Amino acid sequence: MRPASFEYHRATSLDHALELLHEFGEEGRPIAGGQSLVPMMNFRLARPGHLVDINRLPLGGIEIDGQVLRIGALTRHEAYFNDPLIARHFPAFLDAVHYIGHPTIRRNGSIGGSISHADPTAELPAVAVLHDADIVVRSVQGTRKIKAVEFFLSAYVTAIEPGEMVVALEFPLPPSASTGSFIEQSERSGDFGTASIGITLQFAGGKIGKAAMVCSGADLFPIRAPEIEEFLVGKALADPGAAEAGRIFAASIDPVDDHIASADYRRGLIAELTRRAIEAACTRALDKS
Amino acid sequence: MKAERPKFIGARIQRFEDTRLLSGTARYIDDIVLPNMLHLNFLRAETAHATILDIDTSALADLDFPTWVFTGKDTAGLSMKAHQDVPEMQYSEQPFLAEGKVRFVGEPVAVILAEDPYKAEDAAELVFVDYDPLPVVGTMEQARDPEMPPLFDGWKGNVIVERQMKGGDLAAARAAAAHIITRTYRTQRQAGVPMEGRGVVAHYNPADRVLTVWSSTQMPHLVRTYISEELGLPESRIRVVAPDVGGGFGVKGQVYADEILIAWLAMKTGRPVKWIEDRREHLIASIHARDHEHTLEAYVSADGRLLGLKADITVDNGAYSTYPFTSAGEPGMVGKVLPGPYDFQAYEATFRAVATNKCAIGTYRGVARPSAVFSQERLMDDIAAELGIDPFEFRLKNIIRQFPYKNVLGFTYDEGSYAQSLEQMRELLAEDIAEAEVSKSSATRRVGVGIACFIEQTAHGTPDFTRRRTPIETGYIAARVDMSPDGEITIDLGLQSHGQGLETTMAQVAADALGMKPENVYVRHGDTMTTPYSVGTWGSRGGALGGGAVHIAATRIADKLRTIAAHLLQSKPDQIDLVDGRAQVRDNPGSFIEIKKIARIAQRNVEQMPDGMTPGLEAHASCDGPRDGTYANAVHAAVVEIDILTGKTKLRRFVVIEDCGTMLNPLVVDGQVRGGVVQGIGSAMLEHFIYDSECQPLTTNFADYLMPLAPEIPNIEVHHIETPTPLTPLGAKGLGEGGAIGPAAAIANAVGNALGTGVAETPLNTNAVWKLSQHIRETA
Ligand SMILES: Cc1cc2nc3c(=O)[nH]c(=O)nc-3n(C[C@H](O)[C@H](O)[C@H](O)COP(=O)(O)OP(=O)(O)OC[C@H]3O[C@@H](n4cnc5c(N)ncnc54)[C@H](O)[C@@H]3O)c2cc1C
Repeated sequence: MRPASFEYHRATSLDHALELLHEFGEEGRPIAGGQSLVPMMNFRLARPGHLVDINRLPLGGIEIDGQVLRIGALTRHEAYFNDPLIARHFPAFLDAVHYIGHPTIRRNGSIGGSISHADPTAELPAVAVLHDADIVVRSVQGTRKIKAVEFFLSAYVTAIEPGEMVVALEFPLPPSASTGSFIEQSERSGDFGTASIGITLQFAGGKIGKAAMVCSGADLFPIRAPEIEEFLVGKALADPGAAEAGRIFAASIDPVDDHIASADYRRGLIAELTRRAIEAACTRALDKS
Repeated sequence: MKAERPKFIGARIQRFEDTRLLSGTARYIDDIVLPNMLHLNFLRAETAHATILDIDTSALADLDFPTWVFTGKDTAGLSMKAHQDVPEMQYSEQPFLAEGKVRFVGEPVAVILAEDPYKAEDAAELVFVDYDPLPVVGTMEQARDPEMPPLFDGWKGNVIVERQMKGGDLAAARAAAAHIITRTYRTQRQAGVPMEGRGVVAHYNPADRVLTVWSSTQMPHLVRTYISEELGLPESRIRVVAPDVGGGFGVKGQVYADEILIAWLAMKTGRPVKWIEDRREHLIASIHARDHEHTLEAYVSADGRLLGLKADITVDNGAYSTYPFTSAGEPGMVGKVLPGPYDFQAYEATFRAVATNKCAIGTYRGVARPSAVFSQERLMDDIAAELGIDPFEFRLKNIIRQFPYKNVLGFTYDEGSYAQSLEQMRELLAEDIAEAEVSKSSATRRVGVGIACFIEQTAHGTPDFTRRRTPIETGYIAARVDMSPDGEITIDLGLQSHGQGLETTMAQVAADALGMKPENVYVRHGDTMTTPYSVGTWGSRGGALGGGAVHIAATRIADKLRTIAAHLLQSKPDQIDLVDGRAQVRDNPGSFIEIKKIARIAQRNVEQMPDGMTPGLEAHASCDGPRDGTYANAVHAAVVEIDILTGKTKLRRFVVIEDCGTMLNPLVVDGQVRGGVVQGIGSAMLEHFIYDSECQPLTTNFADYLMPLAPEIPNIEVHHIETPTPLTPLGAKGLGEGGAIGPAAAIANAVGNALGTGVAETPLNTNAVWKLSQHIRETA
């Protein structure tokens, strides 16, 4: 359980990091908090020849930039807990980060690392997919933005190309009459979830306007639930048909059956979490309206 | 003679060793670094059952650093032999490195040594083993199928050993029964998992022909004996040292092939060799536990009296037999302990160990008893439910109340507080029981209360081990106590302390006997060069027997101190009390001499001693277990709250009432109980070492093998009853394992109570509880 040999490089500027990543190609990997990469290297499941340490780069920070909330790639998980912008605009996001690991992991782990690692049931990828975030990726060639729904390709596989790195995530600011919720169940507190459901709602006149839903645990990456998003439109906040939504959604998925949980259990759990997440979001909407 | 009341025995003294353990100054196996040391990496089998066709090490020649490689061909003939000396046992040996065949994933096939542990691991990747797969024996059913090929040449089938124990007239009990209740219970396979894994460093010094082996072990003397026997070295020239050991829990209470192999390698290469186990190795290849299935049949009278019990017990032992408790130990223990705290007169148990292509079963805190008590106490609840009797009521009707009690197998129980602890527990739980009752009408949230009532045979010694006929053979614990001329005391303890607090409790015992303070006592342990021969620390024996040995040795010194004091004070030895550092005349406390002054006289100013007395204040004593051990008892209770729609089970409350006789230090008792309970919670709710159908392990790291974490653990309430035993010198019974024995049963009973259903198997994780609550969701 020791990593294969590698060379370590400390990037002194973003350009320096991009040059190094360009130079090493497939052999190069950024290292941020190391909370996922280091265990993978110790198991020799990851064997990068070159590590590019990006921790000294000025890539942290949560700020409003026009119509988006921009979160720098090196923002650590613990930063969201007391952030007024997250609390105000993204209640589902704030719910979700409470489920991430333990204090030491939240202190070190970064959003860029989490979404690049792309664990199937990690919270931040689900949050990005739920909120239609743009993932801002740079290389020596320049910058491109990838829609979160197009970013996650499979378990631990993303649309990032060799030589590229994530510099930020951009979350479109929701209208004020909106809210959300995120619910997860894991075997122990701090574990990756067995399943989780995130919901966002726009509302008016006691009814749901636009809705979004994300689910982790149904597939190899977080998926949206267009059928349920459709279903919720026009439903009364006081009676959104949450249980039915849960049943419909659970019938549409084909979760894995493994030693951690049976497919039946995952389906049952996802139905119930869907109901609870919708009801929690509606309760918040009613409180706000 | 015992006029003085104990001052320190029974006191809640903070553990002395914690200063070292909590300040980062402890010295663990990985802290041992020797000049010129080689680092060892195991190449382990990746296939569960296969013939080794070829091991290709040729790529190592191209490396730009030196390596040493050894395979089963080099170590041919060296093996672990762990046999129960009974005709029913099919013998097997575990070669130090696989010879010809591999029998479980993780079995060592080759070792690669290099001057740097990273390089050793790099080099190991370049060795290729060509396997020809054999059919896998993966389940108890397959192991009992006579058609399956045996794991070892010359074997008939894969049942390692099958035996019986019986007492009374079972046919009569059956005939008289108004109710016959048959159930099958299963506890799933677990790993042991101390925080520190295992590790070995060995060094041979040709100058004085001494082999020194540091090992993270609970039994340094047994490691020494095995090395001597297997490698043909005199024991006098072998020094085994267990440095600070970061938890053992029985996992480190066997002698492992690697401990001898690494000693052999150090001699072979002429250089110190070091191996530090990693977590994956620990999980797949140290030892496993708890893999049991029990079918029980109870015969019960119309008025709810237990008349008899028939048991069929199977343990999935994995491939090899561990030393010294063997593969016969685990099933034999179940057969022996199933009668438990209940009074009935007819019993028959058939018990067997079967061989599969998995890691061997060894001893892990509680050793078979967590599984036995799971079955026993699940059965008590299942019978109570079938008869429509309250579970407390049913137990109280059948609980043993007269002591000493001779059980159906002829074992004599010394006095305990069985009924009292049940009654007391019922009172403590009154509100929870009422809440559970009310919650029965809910289809979404249920509360359940469950108990486990059990006894634990502890402080077993030579008589018990002789009956077992396994290589453990003997069970005494020895201690040497020495008072130096300045009055300070050293205990060289045959036990090895790896979390039990022995550096404190043994000091308390000696301090009381000698009229000194525990702070005056230095307890040394774990080094065969300084400590008297003993079989190690395991089996809930340290406090009762180790404490006994220290007490006996210290009392001998105390007697000598009294004799010298009487001589100097013109009194009689039996008139002298040793208190607060003084030897004083009982009826005239103003007449005294300081104990440290006597210590000086006994070793420096010997001309002042009584005529003819030998100088020195040193005593060696040993203490062995009584014929049937001494029986500690406990009741554990769990209160759970279940979210029926998600299976999420919250352990709201866990209560322990325990009786371990005299407590040497209640703080240590509480710590031992709580630690054990947490491990029991792991067994009950989370831990499951899973193999797939090809015997590939699936839970090889802490993301897949789930241990309980702090947020899942409620405050564990511990209550004590003290019924001192007449069978050990201080009245102490064992308590090290008890905490781990009850939780699986108590939690399963609580879940069963909440859901109104029987629970047959551990672990009760969210998925399992969700499945068990299906009927509630369906009727809602
Ligand atoms: C015990 C434990 C429990 C955990 N529990 C959870 C949990 O419940 N939920 C959860 O979501 N996570 C959990 N984690 C993971 C944690 O959140 C990690 O911090 C996160 O997954 C990765 O972030 P990091 O900054 O540590 O990335 P690193 O480990 O440094 O890197 C991870 C991967 O991302 C790449 N990478 C890093 N930064 C960038 C970048 N800017 N651009 C491109 N690629 C990049 C790396 O090359 C690597 O491939 C847990 C971790 C541990 C050890």
